[in-house]
Amino acid sequence: MQSKKKQAGAAVGFFFSDLSSVLFNNNDLLFASIQSRYISSVKSELFRFSVAKSLLLSSEEKSELLSAFSFQIVVVRITCVAFDFLCITLMNTVLRKHLFIVVELSGMSSTNGTVGHIVSASSGMSSNLHISSEETCSEKAPFISQTSEVLRSTAFRDFLKENNTSSWCTDSLSDFLEYPENSPIQSSNLQIMPCEDVGKPNDWQDWADQLITEDDGVTPNWNEILVDTAVADQIPKMECHAGKSSRTSLTLQVNSLVPASPGETCSPVTPSPGGSQSKPRMRWTPELHEAFVEAVSKLGGSERATPKGVLKLMKVDGLTIYHVKSHLQKYRTARYKPEPSSQGPSEKKPTPLQELSSLDLKTSSEITEALRLQVEVQKRLHEQLEIQKNLQMRIEEQGRYLQMIFEKQCKFGIDSFQPASSAPEKSETELTNEISSSPARTKTESDPVKVGSPSSDNQKVELDPSESQPSKRAKLNESSSTESS
Amino acid sequence: MKFGKRLKQHVEETLPGWRDMYLNYKDLKKLVRLISSSLEYGKSEEAEFVYLLNNEIEKFNVFFMEQEEDFIIRHKELQQRIKRVNESESSSQGEYEEEMARIRKDIVDFHGEMVLLVNYSNINYTGMAKILKKYDKRTGGVLRLPFIQKVLEQPFFTTELVSKLVKECETTIDELFPTVVVMEVEMKEAATMMAGEGIFRNTVAALMTMKEIRKGSSTQSHFSLPVLSLPDTELIRSFQLNSPIPIV
Repeated sequence: MQSKKKQAGAAVGFFFSDLSSVLFNNNDLLFASIQSRYISSVKSELFRFSVAKSLLLSSEEKSELLSAFSFQIVVVRITCVAFDFLCITLMNTVLRKHLFIVVELSGMSSTNGTVGHIVSASSGMSSNLHISSEETCSEKAPFISQTSEVLRSTAFRDFLKENNTSSWCTDSLSDFLEYPENSPIQSSNLQIMPCEDVGKPNDWQDWADQLITEDDGVTPNWNEILVDTAVADQIPKMECHAGKSSRTSLTLQVNSLVPASPGETCSPVTPSPGGSQSKPRMRWTPELHEAFVEAVSKLGGSERATPKGVLKLMKVDGLTIYHVKSHLQKYRTARYKPEPSSQGPSEKKPTPLQELSSLDLKTSSEITEALRLQVEVQKRLHEQLEIQKNLQMRIEEQGRYLQMIFEKQCKFGIDSFQPASSAPEKSETELTNEISSSPARTKTESDPVKVGSPSSDNQKVELDPSESQPSKRAKLNESSSTESS
Repeated sequence: MKFGKRLKQHVEETLPGWRDMYLNYKDLKKLVRLISSSLEYGKSEEAEFVYLLNNEIEKFNVFFMEQEEDFIIRHKELQQRIKRVNESESSSQGEYEEEMARIRKDIVDFHGEMVLLVNYSNINYTGMAKILKKYDKRTGGVLRLPFIQKVLEQPFFTTELVSKLVKECETTIDELFPTVVVMEVEMKEAATMMAGEGIFRNTVAALMTMKEIRKGSSTQSHFSLPVLSLPDTELIRSFQLNSPIPIV
């Protein structure tokens, strides 16, 4: 039992570190199915969004998108029928999150034998979710509060404590924890965040901290992380001052850009990672420029104005004389060589303008038309760029969201294990079926930690065409009822 | 065609001052290959990779913000010019027309340049996302997701201001351009004449590149962008006739 616990603990580490690669690279099918199921839920904002977005696309693109999704649904052979069903009926986002985590957990089993333990564990975990199709949201409310509590419980921490991890587990955990600062901070930017009653970034942060402090055997690595994160914490406070010149703290500084930008008092200033001490990068805005122009004109024009004078007049926090100086230089250049087509983008080009003055109106209107066309092309490009950028952002948001709920569920799902049924291939379906069929029960730490056997054959889990649902359900009901007795 | 090649082509096509400012996709790819092939993959390799990526990000940010600053200044200046031209009663009609024509040309090019900057931002982002995906795939790391979140916040990716300027520019352009109906043929001729030059060439190239990059790839996944379809593909493609480096 002990060794199995250890394995499971080790698997947790591995599991975290490999989550992304498994889910998003090696396990595309699984993820796709999760995604498709998720998206199939009409309540999903994401789906709504993608539909809305798809309206902006041409019909061709739209059908491409939709067909991509439907293709995934067809291809995936995970028996997520119950899961699918649940998604639709599930109103409560918390529970939905749990479900995703659970299914994703089961996905892990395909890549790592030991993770199978987690699978069975989480199946036990999820059993108390007890969602059946007939139940409405309101009925689930009591479970939600229970599960929320569990999430915040220290069960996971304790469990990890028991299992002194192997070195690779630590490493992968450290790797994974490398960027803990970002997630908490950035999650506030997530717009599609469903109701966060299970705690927000702070939970994640706490959990990370707990992990760090808990296990003595691996302190060295984690101390590193502690230092990293601690420094990252301090950096936001310093960003208004001169930028750091040290290149070694680049990573941290780039991290600090994240908290730095939103809602800082010296908003125009963006700290430049690795920039020289005296020239933190300044991000100009039209308003700032207006103030600049005003100050310059008050001082008698761009030629007569001095950087110092302008700086004084502008009275903007965080603005240094270097900023003003360089800006003034640009300003002067722009004024006295207005729109030089000879600068910058110069290629071979006989300026049509020379022709213009000597030619008749017909040509000039031709030119105008050509310009008009140019604008059209440019507009088109810009349009597409905006669409593309939005799509890219949404893709990442979605990935991040799933990652996050997955982590939260992990924290929740590792608390205890459940004996898996004898058939390894069914571990995934076990999971989902258990969700649907298990009787409600309070999650307690006292649940016996039994690690099941399914491991070696789990590679084919997601490709396994399901056996008949009812029979599986029956089996699981059996096992879960024996559990609960 | 692969992204790396596309990028290379694009860089060759792009404005001279911009060529060094793009992502070193090729080098990063080499590094990923190196890391993945070396038997022990540890934190130091990842740190090195991250270091390089951060350098690239810094490069983008610096360049982007410089350009953005320039655009802000030029935008204001153009508005001033227009105001001056409209208010100056002393100039003759001919002079007025001349200046307006100049302004029109300048503003259209300005618009194009701004759009090209947005394109620059996007291409580099795409490259970053790709290289991170490669990294994770090859080394089994989990670098991509958190790192890309960071990238999303970077100045070079937050192109809202430039987009806003673009839209303002478009409004101004609409005001400036007289509504003249011209025959199709003439228009095409004029357009083709202009297409070989300057900013227009760049924007056409950028549009085609974008389309090519988004063509269905072998690794198309739920993370991939859908294929780009432009209604005027043929027309736009015809603009490239003059281009010395045809984008196939």
